[in-house]
Amino acid sequence: MSAFFGPLDAEGRVPPRQQTRAAAFLTSAHGALARQFAAALPARFESAWQTELNAQLYHEAEIVSLLLRATSWVPDVALGVMTMSWETAWLPQPIDGISDPRLAPAVGLATLAHSVHAGIRPAALLPVEADANDPFAMALRRIEFESGRVLQAQILFLKGPDLLPFRDAVSAALERRHVELRKLWAEALEGVGITDRD
Amino acid sequence: MPFLRHGSYRIRYELEGPADGPAYVLVNGLTQYAELWTAYRDALIARRFRVATFDLLGQGESDKPALFIGQDDQVAALHLLIDELGDGPVFLSGISFGGLIALRYAIRYGQRLAGLVPMSCFAELPPQLALLGNALRTGLILGGTSYLQDLLLPMNVSDQWLEPVLDKLDQVKRQGWLVNDVYALQNLMESFLDFQPLTQQLSSIGVPTMILNGEFDFLTPRALHETLRIEIPDSALVIIPKAYHAFTLEKPALTADLLAHFAEDVIAGRWHGNKAVWIAPEDAGGELVPFPAGYDHLRAIPVQRAVR
Repeated sequence: MSAFFGPLDAEGRVPPRQQTRAAAFLTSAHGALARQFAAALPARFESAWQTELNAQLYHEAEIVSLLLRATSWVPDVALGVMTMSWETAWLPQPIDGISDPRLAPAVGLATLAHSVHAGIRPAALLPVEADANDPFAMALRRIEFESGRVLQAQILFLKGPDLLPFRDAVSAALERRHVELRKLWAEALEGVGITDRD
Repeated sequence: MPFLRHGSYRIRYELEGPADGPAYVLVNGLTQYAELWTAYRDALIARRFRVATFDLLGQGESDKPALFIGQDDQVAALHLLIDELGDGPVFLSGISFGGLIALRYAIRYGQRLAGLVPMSCFAELPPQLALLGNALRTGLILGGTSYLQDLLLPMNVSDQWLEPVLDKLDQVKRQGWLVNDVYALQNLMESFLDFQPLTQQLSSIGVPTMILNGEFDFLTPRALHETLRIEIPDSALVIIPKAYHAFTLEKPALTADLLAHFAEDVIAGRWHGNKAVWIAPEDAGGELVPFPAGYDHLRAIPVQRAVR
């Protein structure tokens, strides 16, 4: 077991089995975010902040598209069961302490998006000797880098004035999402010989 | 790896050295982690100190709160760690953001300390530092941890330190990049950008205090350390020659020697702060020399000090 992908092949590429597992998880998580952002997107914008929803939708779609094309996919029998548990985890969850029917789903989506963008660092799994020109390695770097920017929308919303009265409820929901997501990510990686640094 | 528990969060710490020795507690700066004190740990243990290091909340192996990290939480974590040290003398030192946390601890729990060493530190956010802090935060958001490191490195260390590592900067930055997460760093930065000045409370710090400031530190320049010197009663300011903001990384042997000397002087009753200004030697083992009388230590050119 290692904290990084590997052993790499002679060209410095991540083994296809590890690529498949990591990319399947990321595709599932970012695909779920894309669907949820699409569902939240109104046909006509009423507020300036809704433009951010549009950007988020296309960012998530870009990640899915990138992974589909950059990954060396191989069959992985464990993915059937794992994908079911992942997809179940991405479903909207009730937020304890927030009963407002307009606010609660928005907080739910933002906490899921925050945990995916902040808590998952796929590029940190690349060892130093990974080929910088390999598309899979480049895709992971791009996903991690862009996630740091996209995350700002979630930070602004979750720390924003609308949610100040619910600070404890928001923090608790977010911490719970982070723990849940890290556990799923760690389990996914463990099956292909990678230990979670946390 | 031992952990302390603050609420639902875990704080990773290391405690080494003779259990009956006086303790040194070292507090990290913003993008740092406990292993960066390894040279200090070895040097101080060799001089019979017990050394405690830890990762602040949001750093390294400690838990990273997802949305909010308050400075009070960091002080509480430090308090938990110092509680682990028993009743012997405790010396507390911190660099930059860690120095700020050490100051806040000393204001609140000063009676528990035998001595304090704030390094590259500040008690208020004047416009230059506030704007720099905001710009660094924006750099982190737009360019990630790696870009923040790119901004900090040339500000924090000298050409002499950078020159031999220029062709392996990625290697130099890698561990810091690995252990720091963007959201956690952002939370840490936001926790100090909105802080209230401590200046009015500094006079309540009753313990011997040695303030260390790099000669060429332009992130937290001399004037910020001068506030500490003026306000903390039993303090002295020591200027580290040819040093920048992160002199703890660049000059570990010298700095560890200064820390050990200070604590030994305090324990032996030889320390008299007198709000004096000193110049440190360039290498470990040398003597402090007084800043030349009559000259203004706040200037970079030899200007006669105005009569105050």
